[in-house]
Amino acid sequence: MTLALQAAGITKRFPGVLANDKVDFDLARGEIHALLGENGAGKSTLMNILYGLYQPDEGQILVNGQPIAITNPHDAIAHGIGMVHQHFMLVPPLTVTENIMLGQESVLKASRALGQLALLDRRGAAQRIRELSQQYGLEVDPDATVRDLPVGAQQRVEIVKALYRAAEILILDEPTAVLTPQEADDLFVIMRGMVKTGKSIVFITHKLREVLAVADQISVMRGGKMVGHANPADATSESLAQLMVGRQVLLQIDKADPHPGQVVLKVSDISVRDDRQHMAVDGVSFEVRAGEVLGIAGVQGNGQTELAEAVTGLRHPVKGSMSILGHDSTHATPRHVIEAGAAHIPEDRQKHGLVLSFSVRDNLVLCTYYRSPFAHGVSINFPMLERNADDLIRMFDIRAPGSDTLVGTLSGGNQQKVIVARELARQVKLVIANQPTRGLDVGSIEFIHGRIIQARDKGAAVLLVSAELDEIMSLSDRIAVMYKGRILDIIDAKTASREQLGLLMAGVASRQ
Amino acid sequence: MKTESFAPRKWLALSRLTNSAFLLPLLALVTALILGAIIIWVTSGSIGTVFDAFGGLIRGALFKERGLSESLIATVPYVFLSLAVAVGFKAGLFNIGVEGQFYMGAISAVFVGQLATGLPAIIHLPLTLLAGAAGGALWAAIPGYLKVRTGAHEVITTIMLNYVAFRFTELIISGPLRDIHSTAVQTTRVASSAEVWLLYEVPARLQDPLNAFAVALIAGFIAFLVSRTIRRRRERIAAAAPMVLSVGRGKPTRAPGILSRHSSLVTAIVAGVATGVLLPILTRLWWPFTDQYDRLHIGVLFAIAAAVAVWWLIGKTTIGFELRTVGANPNAAIYAGMSITKNVVLAMAISGALAGIAGTIEVLGVSICRCLPLFFSSGYGFDSIAISLLANNSPFGILGVAFLFGAMRNGADLMELSSGVSKYIISLMQALILLFVSAPPIIRWLYRIRTEQKGQRLGLPGSWGGKA
Repeated sequence: MTLALQAAGITKRFPGVLANDKVDFDLARGEIHALLGENGAGKSTLMNILYGLYQPDEGQILVNGQPIAITNPHDAIAHGIGMVHQHFMLVPPLTVTENIMLGQESVLKASRALGQLALLDRRGAAQRIRELSQQYGLEVDPDATVRDLPVGAQQRVEIVKALYRAAEILILDEPTAVLTPQEADDLFVIMRGMVKTGKSIVFITHKLREVLAVADQISVMRGGKMVGHANPADATSESLAQLMVGRQVLLQIDKADPHPGQVVLKVSDISVRDDRQHMAVDGVSFEVRAGEVLGIAGVQGNGQTELAEAVTGLRHPVKGSMSILGHDSTHATPRHVIEAGAAHIPEDRQKHGLVLSFSVRDNLVLCTYYRSPFAHGVSINFPMLERNADDLIRMFDIRAPGSDTLVGTLSGGNQQKVIVARELARQVKLVIANQPTRGLDVGSIEFIHGRIIQARDKGAAVLLVSAELDEIMSLSDRIAVMYKGRILDIIDAKTASREQLGLLMAGVASRQ
Repeated sequence: MKTESFAPRKWLALSRLTNSAFLLPLLALVTALILGAIIIWVTSGSIGTVFDAFGGLIRGALFKERGLSESLIATVPYVFLSLAVAVGFKAGLFNIGVEGQFYMGAISAVFVGQLATGLPAIIHLPLTLLAGAAGGALWAAIPGYLKVRTGAHEVITTIMLNYVAFRFTELIISGPLRDIHSTAVQTTRVASSAEVWLLYEVPARLQDPLNAFAVALIAGFIAFLVSRTIRRRRERIAAAAPMVLSVGRGKPTRAPGILSRHSSLVTAIVAGVATGVLLPILTRLWWPFTDQYDRLHIGVLFAIAAAVAVWWLIGKTTIGFELRTVGANPNAAIYAGMSITKNVVLAMAISGALAGIAGTIEVLGVSICRCLPLFFSSGYGFDSIAISLLANNSPFGILGVAFLFGAMRNGADLMELSSGVSKYIISLMQALILLFVSAPPIIRWLYRIRTEQKGQRLGLPGSWGGKA
């Protein structure tokens, strides 16, 4: 087996951090090589070095056995290395063709004499895009505007863009983070097809199930070092998780049977409009009782976000009513909802959940800063804020140098822990958790799941919204499946199967 | 644990000091001065002129007779207006309208200052200051409200309202409030009771028992705050001690006597009475400001008080916490239950109030006629944006930078006289400072400074276009 790409002894230091410590990484031609690791393990640093975004302090990169220098992404592309970033690098108002051409614009032969003013050969480029998409089964419409495309399609555009630049080696950085289970499966089929034609793929992820499903070879990084390699045939989720985290990990949450009490949240026939005034939630009713977890499953964009926003007071329903512990909350403001005893772990932690330029200390009182003991009148009691922060940092294992660290400098997992600490540390009667573990590593997911179940066992009603079926199935006591703004069915989590939920998520009702 | 984390934290603070927050503005200042020197050198053709010019500038600003006083007089409006800009910045608002709010404050002050007569200074001066603050606050609240309700960007609306304010004050000055006995177009003089005292006048003013009483009240209040802060700090150490050392537990605590329970109040009363009784006597015996042509006024003290107040309000209160949250991430503010409408309007109102007070002090303490003449200002408001940026929106930084700008403004005349260099070179240097501060990559490139840390950005609000 020939090596397509070889990184030998890569070391990269950042001020105060050894991001890569003599890392070796071999990618064989025609294989899907999964690179596993928690946030901050050094995966992204390594890949950014391969793509020319960083320069290594030590070590060598070889492509097809030849040592090469990659000083910028252009070099990487010239050597056939393409990268699909986790956050897409697309220009929304341009068409797919224009986006793919960008940086490598081909021009009409007849107009070449015009130099910089030559006319773009859109038709030729679109033709090549069609060929590529047919060859690899990557369905993209060259004339569509990127802005109008769903996330999954935008990702395909990114992949075609790399192929268009004749990439032989593709680096996919957390490609499934934004996809539904079905879309992820489609992506795996495409990846399989690509390696069959001789391409090589580096697949960065932290989802163990996917690694076992699709990878030919697995490498695991931890703390800047390459800590192990595995063959998917011999590896199990448990063994990989242990390698990744460095200790035994509970993948399946151990939880006692629920003891549902009184109804905490009652939602009756509400309808909610989204920002574009479409009816995103269309006549939804359900109840959540104290001491139980109601999971809302569904492919993203079926109204879950708007539902959660309505329940937390961020958006007002156009129809129907809601109540928390018997008090009407249909038109309550976010503060009313919080004061009624609700905790909200928002979907987008950086947009809603945190103030990135504030310290950990200040973010931990974002919802309670005005209340005793954090304030007397208008004067904030800083020693109390400090003590609160020190306590929560310890209790919730937030990895921060100190309580005055800016939240924006923390890793995603630790940012989420700040939110979870803030929301679950106070006395709450209702928890609304929207995608509480999106984009997080195994260790953080385990931790946050434990805390949510702990809140349930202490008698809180939990409304869990998640696009991750695994998460819904392991945490929920009852599962409601949303499709196009409606709840198709609410089923007992004990009897629910992946297949049954998958069908409901696709809109196939299954009422017996 | 506490003791362990102490040392690195202190070190961190030190390294942050040399980081962008402090270093970049300083380098911007130095670079602008050097460039200014080069421009003088090139345009005059002699290096001697550079020394003449800077020598003249420094002499004019500090060492000339009453030079320092005049510099401080120019500093006062700079402080208030820069604080106004900084409060806006903290809430994510770019208040370019401080100049207009300055005018609206001034005209409101004139109105109250001359209409209400026969009041003692203890009531009339605060009332007039309050009127000026209210005038500025209301004027500034308009763009705040427009922003929340219609999405109209405050940069546009505040600039436009500036012109409305200029013309409106002109209308009032030349119409209803015009002093018909004067040949100049100006309003009638405010009552003496509303004037901001000159430092020269202080001994005479204090002979009025009511004035002495007012000063005593203020002294008592300050003593109360200081004493309470010290006591709280001591209590905190005492409360933290058992946790760290686990000694002193179980020790019987002495029941506090009436004196120690109200020690702050006692301190305040003692300080107040002492001040009220002794100060009028002492100032008659000895007072450093004996020059009757020295125009320095007690507004300097107001400026320092304003800086402390803004520091406290923004950094130490729930009001400031909300303003800063709304400024840093409005979505998170909504999520946390804060009202965007309330906070944007409030931030603009506080900003406008500070600008209004600046205008008021100019009328009551600086304007020779103690009135509002037709051609009043100044350009203080626009310089203040630069000051606020250079001070990184820090209230105490503003005190320093405002003095620098005030001194440059005041020293410019002597610089022109002694070197022949146009005094507008000062404006040029100030413009260069603003340029460098608002485009930090230039400075970073010049001095090869590494990129700043994530999250540590200049105080500029994020968005210019569209709704924030």
